[in-house]
Amino acid sequence: MRILLEKLMINYPYFVAVILFTIGALTVLTRSNLFKKLIGINIMESAIFLMFIAGGNIRGGAVPILDEANPKPLYINPVPSALMLTGIVVSVSVTAFALALIVRLYQSYGTTDARRIAEMRNEVTEG
Amino acid sequence: MTATITANLPVFVVIAPLFVAFVLPTFARRMRLVESLVVAIEAIGLVGAGYLASIVLMQKGIPIIYSLGGWSAPWGIELEVGSLGAFFLLVVAAVSLPVALFARGNLTEEVGGKERVTRFYVLYLLLNGALAGMAVTNDLFNIFVLVEVATLSCCGLVSARNHPRAAEAAFTYLILATLGSALVLGGIGFLYIITGHLNMGFASQELGRIWQDYPHVVWMAASFMLVGFGVKSALFPLHVWLPDAHSTAPSPASAILSGLAVKGYLICLLKVLYIVFGHTLMQEFAMHRILVLLGMIAIIAGSLFALAQDELKRRLAFSTVAQVGYIILGLGLVNMKGLTGTLFYLASHAVIKSSLFLAAGAIIAATGKHRISELAGIGRKMPVTMAVFTVGSLGLVGIPLFSGFIGKWYLLLGSLDAGHILAAAVIIIGSVLCAAYLFPIIRVAYFEPVPEENWQDPGMPQKIALILLAVGVVILGVAPGPFLELASRAAIELLVIK
Amino acid sequence: MRDFILKRVAALILPFICMYGLYVIFHGHVSPGGSFAGGIIVGLSFIAFATIYGLEKGRAKLPETVLNWTESYGTLWYGIMGMVGIVKGAPFLANKLAGVSLGAPGALSSGGLISLIGLGVGIRVASTMVTLFFTMMEEEP
Repeated sequence: MRILLEKLMINYPYFVAVILFTIGALTVLTRSNLFKKLIGINIMESAIFLMFIAGGNIRGGAVPILDEANPKPLYINPVPSALMLTGIVVSVSVTAFALALIVRLYQSYGTTDARRIAEMRNEVTEG
Repeated sequence: MTATITANLPVFVVIAPLFVAFVLPTFARRMRLVESLVVAIEAIGLVGAGYLASIVLMQKGIPIIYSLGGWSAPWGIELEVGSLGAFFLLVVAAVSLPVALFARGNLTEEVGGKERVTRFYVLYLLLNGALAGMAVTNDLFNIFVLVEVATLSCCGLVSARNHPRAAEAAFTYLILATLGSALVLGGIGFLYIITGHLNMGFASQELGRIWQDYPHVVWMAASFMLVGFGVKSALFPLHVWLPDAHSTAPSPASAILSGLAVKGYLICLLKVLYIVFGHTLMQEFAMHRILVLLGMIAIIAGSLFALAQDELKRRLAFSTVAQVGYIILGLGLVNMKGLTGTLFYLASHAVIKSSLFLAAGAIIAATGKHRISELAGIGRKMPVTMAVFTVGSLGLVGIPLFSGFIGKWYLLLGSLDAGHILAAAVIIIGSVLCAAYLFPIIRVAYFEPVPEENWQDPGMPQKIALILLAVGVVILGVAPGPFLELASRAAIELLVIK
Repeated sequence: MRDFILKRVAALILPFICMYGLYVIFHGHVSPGGSFAGGIIVGLSFIAFATIYGLEKGRAKLPETVLNWTESYGTLWYGIMGMVGIVKGAPFLANKLAGVSLGAPGALSSGGLISLIGLGVGIRVASTMVTLFFTMMEEEP
């Protein structure tokens, strides 16, 4: 038990990431409101970003900007942060696209609830 | 000049479609120019891919390695055109050219408005570039970025028709696919955290050394990857988005989505499983059994669902679910024949399914009818289209002399080699079911009374595109030589990696 | 209600926000930030202008054709910069190998082609953000 707790204390960012991921996935899969689904996706992606960045962190490391006047003994790994910037860009574009689709759906169905949309779907004529 | 171009060909095949896509919106007013530009770039891509494939074939297994920016492997991003990469590049180029040609005609009616047509082409080229990138990349994070580019452009293609149903299908697809890419990114994160490498070769070496220390992390990474790519490539229980998305999209988009996009994710899964994990680790963690099981379930369930559909495009979409099952099953066989069969089946399904979807699109555009039962006698009215559809159906069922047969034959041999009698049985049952859901369409089209309506074959570019694809199906079946050699060499290379 | 003070303050501040965005873009290789963050800041300055002064005036500042062109050619610029390496006989996106002098580490001029690439990316990001804003605002029923 103590070992488990110690592990939990040392690796707390990963546990936070797991909890966030679960919250996000549950929100995506159980909520029928389209906006909530989108927010769930964003929470889930943040969890992954957090995990990735925590994986790049080195305790006691300095910010990885080279300063030749006073070099630091230890730098944190900048690669995950750079990668996650790309990930954030991707998630921004996904969010923007999803919002545009939600606007489009709201215009045609007058609701943002997935269940209502599924009910109304059959009334809209195929064309 | 020529030497510069050929030396940089691995990066050109990826960036050429991307950059043409970016400048396309500025020509939006001149429709003809946009269309010709797209077809031209696809044709150039086909030539480039063919050249790369011939070099790879001549070099007998030595891959072409290209380091972006001159930074070599562990630090920089590496492109690798081995047998696998050249094979998939060739498939992408060979399928996307006829589809682009097909799109020339009635796309404006289908998506509504010239501006939307340009947008369609932009997304089409982006998807193309992303798929070419998946074929050549040797970097885990690049896979994620390319998968995201492909996913977003797929969603755009699904929502290209100005119809609320298309928007709905695109939203469902977007949410599920983003869930999948979050999982893929998580898997990459686990691998990066324990190995410290993003380059697949280096990550694989490091993983081979340390996996015993982190068995749970390896499990998590593998399952995240499998579920993530599984959602994107419509592996059976995760296929829920596919029928809606593929049947509401415009026909060229359905062809490219079913034919190529799904395959791109499968190639990524194959690369991650065989290059990063390696087949020893796969067998250590019993991943191959899971893959075979999932594949068998997908074949049977997808075929049964397809049988139940009366809407033409939905039936074809569910058939894709079943065919993805074959490829996943082949991935799990972990022997040379099985892998060769999987790769060959992937290529032949790409050609066949795009020809089927394009033929279906031509039929729907000419008749306005979506249901199979309403298509009585269409074979007499639209001989070319229906002939292509018939060739495609024969290929998909796996009749000898058509491309599907060779893939299925190798898969059958592979599953017997691996000792999976059940898998072999499922492959045969799947073929029978496939005949059961495709042949009735042909029967209705040819052997029922001819209607009075004035239905006609589509215009010249569409006819050429359809015939090109049909010829591809036959060539792959009659003279598979170089393709089969590339596939089997890729299989050998993949199995060499421990 | 469009407010006099708000408009005056915005008129004073927005140019500096835009400049700050360009600063972040050009210092991408020596400090945190970079073309994406800087491009967003530049885009935000235009979005703020459009929200404060009204959509029509914002549209007049950046007509759709201009946005269309910057969006397309900002990305093409990236490709052209990448081709510099190929023209010089080095791989795609080569920087030092293409014979670009890199200067002293830490100096603003130390990035070679990176800050130029960043300019293209920044322009693209800014115009994409503005386009997104306009599309979303105008799509309202």
